[in-house]
Amino acid sequence: MIKLMELEWRKLERTKVIGEVIFYWVIMMFLPVFFIKVVFAELPTVDFGDSYAAALDLMLLIQAGNLLFGASLINHVFIEEYKNKTIALSFGYPLSRQKLVMAKVLFIAVAVFCCTLVSFLLAGVTTYAVDQVQDVISGVPTLADLLTYAARMIIHSIMIALASLIPLFAFGLWIRLVIPTVICAIVLMQLPTIFSMLRITVNTDLLYSILSILGVASAVLSVKLVNKVGDL
Amino acid sequence: MNSVIRTYELTKTVKGKHIVSNIHLHVKQGEIYGLLGPNGAGKTTIMKMLTGLIIPTSGEIMLFGRKLAETSKESLKRVGSIIEYPIFFEHLTAMENLQIHCEYLGFYDKKAIHRALDMVQLKGIENQKVKDFSLGMKQRLGIARAAITKPELIVLDEPTNGLDPIGIKDMRDLIRTLNLEYGITFLISSHILGEIEQVADRIGVIRNGRLVNEVSLPDIRQQRTDYIELVTSNVPRTAYLLEHELHITNMKIVQGKKIRIYDEGISVGQISRLLVSQNIEIEEIQKHTSTLEDYFYHQIQGGEQLDQVNGTGMEKAGTH
Repeated sequence: MIKLMELEWRKLERTKVIGEVIFYWVIMMFLPVFFIKVVFAELPTVDFGDSYAAALDLMLLIQAGNLLFGASLINHVFIEEYKNKTIALSFGYPLSRQKLVMAKVLFIAVAVFCCTLVSFLLAGVTTYAVDQVQDVISGVPTLADLLTYAARMIIHSIMIALASLIPLFAFGLWIRLVIPTVICAIVLMQLPTIFSMLRITVNTDLLYSILSILGVASAVLSVKLVNKVGDL
Repeated sequence: MNSVIRTYELTKTVKGKHIVSNIHLHVKQGEIYGLLGPNGAGKTTIMKMLTGLIIPTSGEIMLFGRKLAETSKESLKRVGSIIEYPIFFEHLTAMENLQIHCEYLGFYDKKAIHRALDMVQLKGIENQKVKDFSLGMKQRLGIARAAITKPELIVLDEPTNGLDPIGIKDMRDLIRTLNLEYGITFLISSHILGEIEQVADRIGVIRNGRLVNEVSLPDIRQQRTDYIELVTSNVPRTAYLLEHELHITNMKIVQGKKIRIYDEGISVGQISRLLVSQNIEIEEIQKHTSTLEDYFYHQIQGGEQLDQVNGTGMEKAGTH
């Protein structure tokens, strides 16, 4: 399976994907500072800059942006392969389609997990570094803050990786359209904001847990039903 | 001789429409088998099913004596193919494409990649991206990919599509070489008889998703039929005279005003003399040799182009 995942990576337009990842990382590195210092600066009700513990919530919301990377990978690994018919090459190998789809799904999940993890690290380090110069967040990070950040970084990266698979079955494998896949990822990314605008209080952890389960369900459906909906 | 491909009642239905119905195909080891049929007849669908690209609605495929199914595709290791047109990861180089292909098949032999590129005369440009290749180069690269792992069967769908005359000849030579020197069995499709006739040992004729006939080319050549074609304005009387005066029984009426006479031993002169003596106007009379094209045209068209025999008791030509 690892070999198949490696082959998925080698088939990609790697320069394009790496460029995209770097773009996400750079944007998300500076977004926490930008939000605290610019967007929420005049809003006394928003307290992300009060402490490192409070800033963590903002980090989680921002890192949901990696769902877009998941949508992009669904596009590269599934939709483009169907469009270019290169998927036909894979189907002609002595491997079951279910195994091929499983390798693709795992590749996307692992790639999004790694990308989100690095993004968390870069954003954390950048925010801390800017804070030393610009006084963005009140106080200093405690050991407890750092441990919580590390734990949430891993858990949240897993959740984002799983949730990024939500568009896979319907939009990636079945109707195979890029725009609905991206729109779906944007909506998922903005769900906490949408709920907040509708004045619906939602526990973010619960929300991401549900999204993770939906992502797993989408992946399972894709693997199980590829012979029915994934024909050329 | 061992079977390389055997299908039983192979059927593919899409949205209730039969694309391919009850195909019983039999390809023997070491032969070049041609699938001949007009565009849309179902050739590509059959090939896609044989190479695991699409799943049959019903029926069975046996490759090298083993059943091909989604859960048992091992026999595809022994098959190389180009279906529809050569598909590549265009942003990758020729070498990268071939390496990925080999790794999917669990085949690791760099020398074999170079040998395959050499065989199709693509050595030296292996590090160029495929998107910069012409169609002819892609076809050759496709053949290299299909042959790289030394498969026992190569399936080629319209392999000369888009090639210039030199490319077509090169492709034909390559197929023959691989068949003769390496004993590779080929299944090739085409809608052009002249093309398939030059390489195939046997031909399967596909019409409306059905395999209507399987014949070997030497057999067909033996069956080539000579006939005399006569054009006259008075067909019923002419037919009556031919039957009663010259005792011709094997003839048929074509397109209303032509009569084709298949009886051997009757000459153009005898017919002309009879009709002139009976004051029947002959617009045209000519001796024809039916070609392979006629044979397959009839097979593919299902004889619909030929008129039915009239009611004077004449027989249809036996070979048609």
